[in-house]
Amino acid sequence: MNIFTLRRNRGVSKIPTARSKMMAALTTSGAILLLIGCAGGTTQLDIEGDFPVPIMVKLPVALGIHLDTTLTTFTHAETFENSREWVVSIGPAQERLFSQLALGLFSEHTLTDSVYATPPYDGVLKPAIAEVQFSLPEQTRSDYYEVWIRYEFDLYDRSGRLIGNWQLPAYGKANQKNYSGTSKGLQAAAMAACRDAMAFFSINFSREPVVMNWLNSGMPDVQAPDSIDKTDASNTATSSDGRPV
Amino acid sequence: MSIRLVLIAFALWLGGCVTATVEQVRQTQTLLGDGDSIVVIGRRNRPNQEEAELDFIDCVSRKMSTGVDRVSMISEQEFRDAVFPWFEPRTAPLNTTDLPALLQEPVLAKRMDEMGLKYLVWLEGSTRRTSQGGSLSCTVTPAGGGCFGFLSWENDSSYEASIWDTHTAKTAGRISSDAAGTSYMPALVVPIPLIARVQSSACSSLAEQLRLFIQPDSAES
Repeated sequence: MNIFTLRRNRGVSKIPTARSKMMAALTTSGAILLLIGCAGGTTQLDIEGDFPVPIMVKLPVALGIHLDTTLTTFTHAETFENSREWVVSIGPAQERLFSQLALGLFSEHTLTDSVYATPPYDGVLKPAIAEVQFSLPEQTRSDYYEVWIRYEFDLYDRSGRLIGNWQLPAYGKANQKNYSGTSKGLQAAAMAACRDAMAFFSINFSREPVVMNWLNSGMPDVQAPDSIDKTDASNTATSSDGRPV
Repeated sequence: MSIRLVLIAFALWLGGCVTATVEQVRQTQTLLGDGDSIVVIGRRNRPNQEEAELDFIDCVSRKMSTGVDRVSMISEQEFRDAVFPWFEPRTAPLNTTDLPALLQEPVLAKRMDEMGLKYLVWLEGSTRRTSQGGSLSCTVTPAGGGCFGFLSWENDSSYEASIWDTHTAKTAGRISSDAAGTSYMPALVVPIPLIARVQSSACSSLAEQLRLFIQPDSAES
């Protein structure tokens, strides 16, 4: 009897072996897991893909960008009615996003560990995600997966004092006709929201009142609280009508 | 057996029939020089039912860039990344009147010049199922299985392309492409899908018309 015959005979054997029992158990547990997965569970999504560098006239600003762990590990979880839980990891993409953004926007930039800028940097920008929402086509009765992200930006001077802050709402959508499945649709919508944030930031950064004033006044440091007190005291003292200024 | 053959032949005769109509309106003369290229992009400024499918845009672009009278095409994603952030859903110009102001951005104007972009084709529209009917049931038994019934559905494609001349910042013209067709699925034990390729037909006719519109000389020769 050659090897082929042996194998063939083993294949048609009706006697349950330890291996076939193990396979049956694995198949059964796999089917149970699949059923559990269909009924609920969690799906983790990451934002994949590269971000483009904005083509802009670079601002003559050397800026540090502080991405803290709250931002870089940011995830948003949402459970929809009669559906599973969707967890979208937005944080890990933020370093790529802000690096590309800064590359096109500022004459010089670096990623910093704190809000204190070391020379030659003029200040530090600290982005944060304040809120995320997303919706599925069946919820809105439309063709679109939609994602909203609300960013908050703090701008610090060289000494780490807050100059001011502003918010940036971003929106992204993905047509369900273009993506097979909720995971891909939500990923595409989240990616579109990130691109929208980049686009809006690129065009409006220098128009933000906080930034505009800072740039127009030569990017000065914010006065320390004790020096502000001294100025106020001096103003009060020189007021002609004796009232505090 | 003969009835089955007759039914299959009838379904084959009916299936795959697509009616396509293309209309064009020319507003200015067009000319494509050496090194000039075209981009076809979808309108995505707001959620609406007329957002062209990515595969349709890709199909039009691919068909224009192949064949004897092929033209130099830039893919939509390549273009959007190259001119980022100026053609994103929130920042893209809505009318040709917005173009001159946009091209005042020196880096954008330089990039578009480097790409050799002459015509920008905005595409809107979609393919939708307009009606469906019939019924089909399948049974599986230990002895075997099979399906019996008849399904039919009608798809309608409607797309409009607006061609912008980036050198003159004017609309060169518009082309609309409509196609409709009915698909059938007769089932006598085995279902036989007879699909009318409506979207594909709309894509081919639109791509061909766009090529003729932009290069009218190629039609004469």
